[in-house]
Amino acid sequence: MTFQEKEAKLSAGAVKYFVGGDGPPVLYLHSGGGVRLASKPINDWAESFKIFMPVTPGFDGTPFLDGVDSMQGLADLAGEFIDTVIGGPCDVIGYSFGGWTAAWLAVLHGGKIGQMVLEGPAGFRPDGAVGLASDPAEFVKQMYAHPEKIPEDGKPEETVAHNRKAMGHYHDASPMDKALVARLGEIETLTLILHGTEDGAIPEESPRLLKSLIPRSFLVYVYDAAHVMEIDQPERVSLLVRDFLTRAEGFLVNWGDEAAGLDAAAATA
Amino acid sequence: MKFAYFHLMPYTESPEHTQDWPVPNKRFDPRTGEKLYNAYLDNMVYAEECGFDWVGCNEHHMSPFGMMSNPNLIGASLIQRTTRIKIAMVGNLIPLLNPLRVAEEYAMLDVLSGGRLVAGMFRGIPHEYVAYNMAPSESYGRLIEATQLIIKAWTEPEPFGWEGEYYQYRAVSIWPRPIQQPHPRIIMSGSSPRSAEIAGRFGAMFGIAQLKTFDDARNLIDIYRESAKAHGFDPKPEDVLVSLTLSLAEDADEAKETLTNGRRFFAEVLGGGLRTAQKLVLQKTRYYGDEMKGKFVDARKSAQISVDDLLDQGTILCGTPKMVVDQLKHVHAAMGHGVTNINMKVGNIPDETIYKGMDLFKDQVLPHVRDL
Amino acid sequence: MRYSYTHHMPYTDIDRAGQDWPVPNKQFDPQKGVKMFKAYIKDKIYAEQAGFDWIGCNEHHMSPYGLMPNPNLVGAVLAHQTTKAGILQSGNILPIANPIRVAEEYAMIDVLSGGRLIAGFMRGIPHEYIAYNEPPSESYSRMNEAVELIKKCWTETEPFGWEGEHYQFRAVSIWPKPVQQPLPPILMSAASEQSAKLAAKHRAIAGLLALSDMDDGRRSMERYRTFAREYGWEPGPLDFTVGLNCCIAPTKDEAIKILKSGQEYFFGVLGGGIRTAQKLVVQKTRYYQDQKTAKEQAKKFVNMRMGGLSFEEKMECGLMICGTPDMAIEQIHTVHKELGNARIGLSIKIGNVLDEHVTRTLDYLRDEVFPATRHLGEEEAQAAQ
Repeated sequence: MTFQEKEAKLSAGAVKYFVGGDGPPVLYLHSGGGVRLASKPINDWAESFKIFMPVTPGFDGTPFLDGVDSMQGLADLAGEFIDTVIGGPCDVIGYSFGGWTAAWLAVLHGGKIGQMVLEGPAGFRPDGAVGLASDPAEFVKQMYAHPEKIPEDGKPEETVAHNRKAMGHYHDASPMDKALVARLGEIETLTLILHGTEDGAIPEESPRLLKSLIPRSFLVYVYDAAHVMEIDQPERVSLLVRDFLTRAEGFLVNWGDEAAGLDAAAATA
Repeated sequence: MKFAYFHLMPYTESPEHTQDWPVPNKRFDPRTGEKLYNAYLDNMVYAEECGFDWVGCNEHHMSPFGMMSNPNLIGASLIQRTTRIKIAMVGNLIPLLNPLRVAEEYAMLDVLSGGRLVAGMFRGIPHEYVAYNMAPSESYGRLIEATQLIIKAWTEPEPFGWEGEYYQYRAVSIWPRPIQQPHPRIIMSGSSPRSAEIAGRFGAMFGIAQLKTFDDARNLIDIYRESAKAHGFDPKPEDVLVSLTLSLAEDADEAKETLTNGRRFFAEVLGGGLRTAQKLVLQKTRYYGDEMKGKFVDARKSAQISVDDLLDQGTILCGTPKMVVDQLKHVHAAMGHGVTNINMKVGNIPDETIYKGMDLFKDQVLPHVRDL
Repeated sequence: MRYSYTHHMPYTDIDRAGQDWPVPNKQFDPQKGVKMFKAYIKDKIYAEQAGFDWIGCNEHHMSPYGLMPNPNLVGAVLAHQTTKAGILQSGNILPIANPIRVAEEYAMIDVLSGGRLIAGFMRGIPHEYIAYNEPPSESYSRMNEAVELIKKCWTETEPFGWEGEHYQFRAVSIWPKPVQQPLPPILMSAASEQSAKLAAKHRAIAGLLALSDMDDGRRSMERYRTFAREYGWEPGPLDFTVGLNCCIAPTKDEAIKILKSGQEYFFGVLGGGIRTAQKLVVQKTRYYQDQKTAKEQAKKFVNMRMGGLSFEEKMECGLMICGTPDMAIEQIHTVHKELGNARIGLSIKIGNVLDEHVTRTLDYLRDEVFPATRHLGEEEAQAAQ
């Protein structure tokens, strides 16, 4: 799948984004690692959806924008992106740092989104839980169950380090966004929360907390995946999210040989 | 007329209304669960003393609706504490399970009980397919193939293999094998014509699990009989079972009030999550053939029908012993069935009320309806 | 020393040694089965009165070797009819089962017993894979995933889905859930390196069955400790249970005669068909992941000689409890001294050993052996807790 690089003119300034695929629109909010166009699940989804991936200001070599310096600010920016670029409500996938933004987006601008997927969302780390390791080898262990799958086409070390630092622009060191937790109950969006069984970066209490507080939500464990589940288990993540975005609550049901027909019907609808 | 005493083993101590599926088990307190299991087991054992011919268990998953995710565990316990009563598993949900495992477990129950097993081959209610992540559209195909395979596992004297659409085994010879010959009596149930046809095809007993209207039930029984005859089996009255809810008290109003409260709890608390899951399955899959879709949705409204309406229809047993005797005679006259399956634990009706009802049944109902 | 009672519930009314797999069940007489089930269940309940800490049930298919294709049916009966003994399910064979079903049934037993379940997670002996037509080569990876999923069923407070390699569920929240928090105790085999590693990961009580000799036992335990340390914990004496055959009689000769003839029946009659199936699995599939383990285990399993030893060799090396009550006491002291374990699993119904002889052994254990050996390892066990 080829993604086109474009630029959106938003009120706070220019935002770079990638767009590709065909079908109903989906907004993808990237993790602290920045945009990764080679992700297998993203390319799979682009076969059924039109994927919009804005680059968070300050990431992947882009400048920060004046006045956008909080998670709520990022959620406002995403809301404006939906209005301006996508032109109407869409589904949202938020991964890690992007999941945190997505949750704020659902709280502040719920009317702009249809369904939401939170992949290993950050921002809900309970007090006392282990944080991200500074030792590189330990960090890799936290992030990957299968480091042998880390692709060669990775970003330059410098960009990765810069991206990690850029997250600090939007939130303080506090690992638990209590203001957001207090408002999770307001979310009306149908939400799927994914968590890798080997995730060393996000403790299990985080997805459990989200599941217990977001009224219409589902929690699914992705077996043998750590935090970077799109690389550890691309097929599982791809299939789950596609099922959920296509069939809503119906993704709970095993459709057997009816699945293909249903998906075709959904695509034409 | 033979009588079965059926119990769902519901978890009744978490009264919140719910629409979630699955029902979060943080609402389940295991210590309370232990007390309920023991109380329910005692109660089911008491059914033998009360003169019931069968005691029945069935399988449900992931909700307070029933605490028997594998009812065979409860069946095994009941066998130890009873001597005469038949142990009716109504049933194991065949399409969700490994058929060989069912053949083995049922054989264990048959041998443990010295041949008292009634083997239910049930398709299950739709939400169980969500629980076990099985395709609802395969439910009939699996039911038919699995039932054939189970019968084969019970009756084939030589080791055999099975190359089927859903099931493949290369070397089967189950230990133990059942004591009843040629095999344990099978019961199948259904609220659709297709289920009735399948029950007939296997020469099984046929159970009407939910008596909606006499006409509807008679129609299903006719389909069952026709199908059975076409397959060389002529069903007798005792091959047809009809399930009825029973509320019995010295005072008719008391019986009615008890049942009304129990039904409300059943619909609002125990059944809430199930309905959510059932909607998902029924709206979009071929769980029922197209001819049944509308019907089942109507049936779900039955929770709102009042006890009085049901009494008018004659599809419920509720009142004083004398009234219940008449009601039973009425149902029998309409259905001509030989086994009545009685369900007294509706929702959260207290166990002491149920014991009182059981005693009244034993002393003042049973003697007058035995010979129907 | 804490004791668990192992009873396979064998079918003992066959006298011809068949080699067929599966063993044709026309040899099973259901009327005799009724009597055996009655006697065996009575016997298992009696074991609690004899002072056993745990009573065990286990899963076997399609042979007279054991009549519990689903041991949870018997476990539920024991849960309901005993009051204090642990209910040891050793176990359910996870790779050939639906893990959700195992989680549900074990939870039922835990609740029925008021929190007395010891949850055995077993990989099974090879022939069970033919019985259920599951690929033996997937046994380890299914085992790994199933254990994770079952633990999740027991500990996750919110409804959840599971997207795995072998198992997929979208909506799980089992009813009932177990009494014991956060988890019922888990028992797993530590017979092979791979099994030991997995058991250590889950902090399981390590089951050591069919040891070749004391050195084999010590090596297996040390290996287990090493793995456990890698996972950040230190096993104590209560984290090992050693499986031993046992017969106690008024004289040594009588005990030896009974046990020896029982074992011959076990190997010759009950084990015949299983051996055929095991050969197929062990030799023709990747049930064991490396050749060395395959060969070692093949020696143990295929010969079915309890670690490849003759009866006399086994007596000699101290891995049998057989003789007068005094001898049994001494033998148990020796096992404890050599291995330092604080749990022993005793198999007394070996092959066709008569039920009355089983009961007699139970009585000796209750009256003489248990009182004289209870203290063994207790102090160390307390210290390690």
